[in-house]
Amino acid sequence: MAFWLTKNRQEQARVCDPEANPFAVFEGAGLEIGNRRILSDLTLSLKEDRIGVIGLNGSGKSTFVRMLNGLRLPDHGSLRLFGAEAEKAAPELPRHVGFVFQNPDHQAIFPTVEEEIAFGLTQLGADKRESRERALVFLQAHGCEALAASPIAELSEGQKQLVCILSVLVMEPRLLVLDEPMTSLDALASRRIRDKILSLPQKIVMVSHDLGHFEGFDRILWLEEGRLRMDGSPFEVLRAFEADISRRSGVKLELAAL
Amino acid sequence: MISIYLQGTSWLHRIPAGLKLLAVAIASLILFQVKSPWVFLACLVVVAVCYASLGRQGVAQLKLLRGLSYFLGILLLFHWVSGTFLEGVSVILRLLVLVLAANLVSVTTRLDDMLDAVMPLFMPLEWIGLSARKPALGVALVLRFAPYMMQIFSRLREAYQARAGSTNSWKLLPPLAIQCLRMSDNVADALRARGGSEGLPR
Repeated sequence: MAFWLTKNRQEQARVCDPEANPFAVFEGAGLEIGNRRILSDLTLSLKEDRIGVIGLNGSGKSTFVRMLNGLRLPDHGSLRLFGAEAEKAAPELPRHVGFVFQNPDHQAIFPTVEEEIAFGLTQLGADKRESRERALVFLQAHGCEALAASPIAELSEGQKQLVCILSVLVMEPRLLVLDEPMTSLDALASRRIRDKILSLPQKIVMVSHDLGHFEGFDRILWLEEGRLRMDGSPFEVLRAFEADISRRSGVKLELAAL
Repeated sequence: MISIYLQGTSWLHRIPAGLKLLAVAIASLILFQVKSPWVFLACLVVVAVCYASLGRQGVAQLKLLRGLSYFLGILLLFHWVSGTFLEGVSVILRLLVLVLAANLVSVTTRLDDMLDAVMPLFMPLEWIGLSARKPALGVALVLRFAPYMMQIFSRLREAYQARAGSTNSWKLLPPLAIQCLRMSDNVADALRARGGSEGLPR
């Protein structure tokens, strides 16, 4: 029933400062879901332009990046996003943080590309006609006007992911968080999407299993079992990560440990 | 019966959505007063010409008739058995004209234009504190995700067939439900990430 109720759209004082850098400050932050510790003792601050997040499945990467736009809030320690306490900042965060999910089929909400792009603009308060016109101009600026009227379901995987990225970029966020955006793409689409991501003026936080995607990044966070195992330049962290993988896979193959 | 929007700029695309919906509504009111099959046949020709004016894509839309024909056939059979064959022919022609006309509107009208046109009908909801924007969003979500759920189902069926040899087992329903729930969780997150169903605070 709650879904159908209108919220009172009161004038709320803005609490976030979009210029804040570092944009995220974790102090002993952690999160437990059910009886499982997903993240523990995270203390770090993020300010670099290109930040990569690596780790094995179940290491807490997805939950970690979901904290950056308030989709998950820590239940231990503190987290400040864009200068404000995470819980207070959460309602405002979609304005400043764009989020691209792993599966474009679970992100695109509307039947056609143009509607999908225009949605972000109506979310920010533009009326329907204006947002449709601006969506078309935006698609043109990104060389995608040919897709405008296409049904999302009929696009290629690469096109779908591009549309998902554009649909959050149109809201002009400061930070773009991407959770394994290249996973469902073929080699060519994956390269194109990566180049697109690197060409953006936004700050980027990206999760990926393909270490090659972090070329040109400033900083890599390596999560393991919900903790920050290593934090540093791509050169040192990626090398240490690969060494760890080789070491562990070399130790007598135990399927149960997969 | 939900047809996908046909891209295009035909004369039918250019007519405002509200006008098209109104025309179909008035046509159905009038056609329910008419009894003569000849009038219906004439209307059928007009509707068919409208489809033809959309070009090959438009004519392809008439495949809708294949599914409909069984239903209409059974209906006609009932009338024949109960000795009202001619009346049955009129009933069937009337249904045919109206379904084809309604479908014509849905394939030539963008979803958000359609929603804009029907939104005023939801406005009374706002007076009692319910949201008029949400039913519209709900319709968009159904149209977007119904085909995707069919895709999930056919993937499950393939996986089942690959190991069980047979298709179409009721055993596929629980995993389908689980996958759909997981999908809806993800979609809800994606919606929240862009400000939720109410839009962002000003």
